[in-house]
Amino acid sequence: MNNNEAIVVCRCEEVTYGALRFTAEEHQCTARELKLRTRAGMGFCGGRTCRIPLDRIIENVVSNISQGDTPLKYQPPIRPVTFGTVGEKND
Amino acid sequence: MRDVIVIGAGPAGLAGAIASASFGLKVTVIDEFIKPGGRLIGQLHQEPSGEWWNGIKESERLHQEAKTLSVDIRCGVSVYNLEKDDDLWNVHTSIGTLTAPYVLVATGAAEYPIPLPGWTLPGVMSIGAAQVMTNVHRVEVGKKGIIIGANILAFAILNELQLAGIHVDRIVLPEKNPLSGKAGEPEEVMKSLLNAAHLAPSPLLRMGSRFMKNGSFRKIGMKFYPKNGVKVNGTPLLLRKAAIEIIGTEQVEGVRVADTDENGNIIPGSEKIYEADFVCIAGGLYPLAELVAVSGCPFQYIPELGGHVPHHSEMMETPLEGLFVAGNITGIESGKIAMAQGTTAGYAIAKHAGKDGAAIDKQLQEAVQNVRSVREQAAIQFNPEIDSGRRKMSELWESLYSKNTRENSQIKIG
Ligand SMILES: Cc1cc2nc3c(=O)[nH]c(=O)nc-3n(C[C@H](O)[C@H](O)[C@H](O)COP(=O)(O)OP(=O)(O)OC[C@H]3O[C@@H](n4cnc5c(N)ncnc54)[C@H](O)[C@@H]3O)c2cc1C
Repeated sequence: MNNNEAIVVCRCEEVTYGALRFTAEEHQCTARELKLRTRAGMGFCGGRTCRIPLDRIIENVVSNISQGDTPLKYQPPIRPVTFGTVGEKND
Repeated sequence: MRDVIVIGAGPAGLAGAIASASFGLKVTVIDEFIKPGGRLIGQLHQEPSGEWWNGIKESERLHQEAKTLSVDIRCGVSVYNLEKDDDLWNVHTSIGTLTAPYVLVATGAAEYPIPLPGWTLPGVMSIGAAQVMTNVHRVEVGKKGIIIGANILAFAILNELQLAGIHVDRIVLPEKNPLSGKAGEPEEVMKSLLNAAHLAPSPLLRMGSRFMKNGSFRKIGMKFYPKNGVKVNGTPLLLRKAAIEIIGTEQVEGVRVADTDENGNIIPGSEKIYEADFVCIAGGLYPLAELVAVSGCPFQYIPELGGHVPHHSEMMETPLEGLFVAGNITGIESGKIAMAQGTTAGYAIAKHAGKDGAAIDKQLQEAVQNVRSVREQAAIQFNPEIDSGRRKMSELWESLYSKNTRENSQIKIG
């Protein structure tokens, strides 16, 4: 496993598998809390790549949680947009 | 005034646009890619009948038909939010907000990633990216590749890479761990491949498929699985070897692989390096339902359908008034099924919009029936238990929405 600790799971924020496991074990938390504690899933891609690994880590580390229970939420904007775009009035 | 906004110009979205426009509705289709067709434009495979499925041709046909019906198609536009105010849906896009009483979300599927050491090196890509580079952009992904992960999509794309003259040296599994899940368990992988025997013309898979459906035979089968693999179209499929690390300094140079026992556990001291200049990670597909999630639609986790799917009826309605779904967002299946579902959704929208009685009812019913028969004849089935997944969703719909028994306790991910 040691080699695996260094895997970069969230590529935008460069959060490793080791850091995620450590945080999940220490706090026995939800995927959402794992995200807020480590910033994994909060980068430019909006968690598009790492949200599933995050759910899987929680499922593996925390007992009594399965994928069906508390998946990470989706929040708008679901694509990166400029402030100009979101600030614009409806046309 | 526009009647319908379709998000996603894949087979489901285009077919939906065509069906509603054929009843005189005004339709706008939005897609973030540079051209319409969705995943179709990467697809090229031979059906068991010998006929070729050419996705580019299919997408051109759909695009032409939509244009003839004056469907407004806008490519290169991303939708980043979807919400409803009174009677109209607001579709927030990179070129401003569009509104309509009816929205069809047909955003397709995304790939499950499998993180492993070295996966950030240049030359590592998802299997779907290799398909897009090869068939859509016509860029050679490399000279000699290794695929990590064995599933139906990987086999289909292996074929496409070979047709393009690209050498794929071998297919191995990812190391078994929490990040790879079932993709790292040889027996689970074997089980999921049984229904793909016709795509993997290897004597072992084909002859073994009936035997291997039985759990204990499968265990024995995995125990005696040949060390050098079985060939899938000339490429060794190594179910008893796992990728431990992708190596390279500036870019991919190879993959460190170890032998495993029948349960996928690494056999110490068996490591070996296979050279390669590109690596494809094949983790499978899940429904890309983010927009429907932010709209507030309830979801259900159904693994047979690929993950979390929005609640929907066989007529592709969601519990939210005016919101419809079709294609891979409702469960992972082939392009033909996505198209049939899109047609159903398009007719359902026409019906909700009050288009003429008898004709629409008949067409809608035929469309629902057609989805079932296309499913029965499907050449590619991503999940062997798809029928059970579809049944779960329709039972759920019956119990929650058919008899005015709307509940508040549904799971939302938006
Ligand atoms: C990589 C990959 C390879 C596949 N290969 C095969 C194969 O070989 N054979 C097979 O039968 N099936 C294959 N499939 C399954 C495939 O999903 C279906 O065949 C079919 O294309 C699904 O149709 P769809 O209309 O539901 O979605 P898609 O064809 O995926 O179309 C969805 C469209 O929605 C657009 N979109 C998504 N989100 C947004 C947004 N927020 N804003 C704007 N536009 C958006 C996308 O750009 C895309 O064009 C593959 C799927 C994937 C992901």
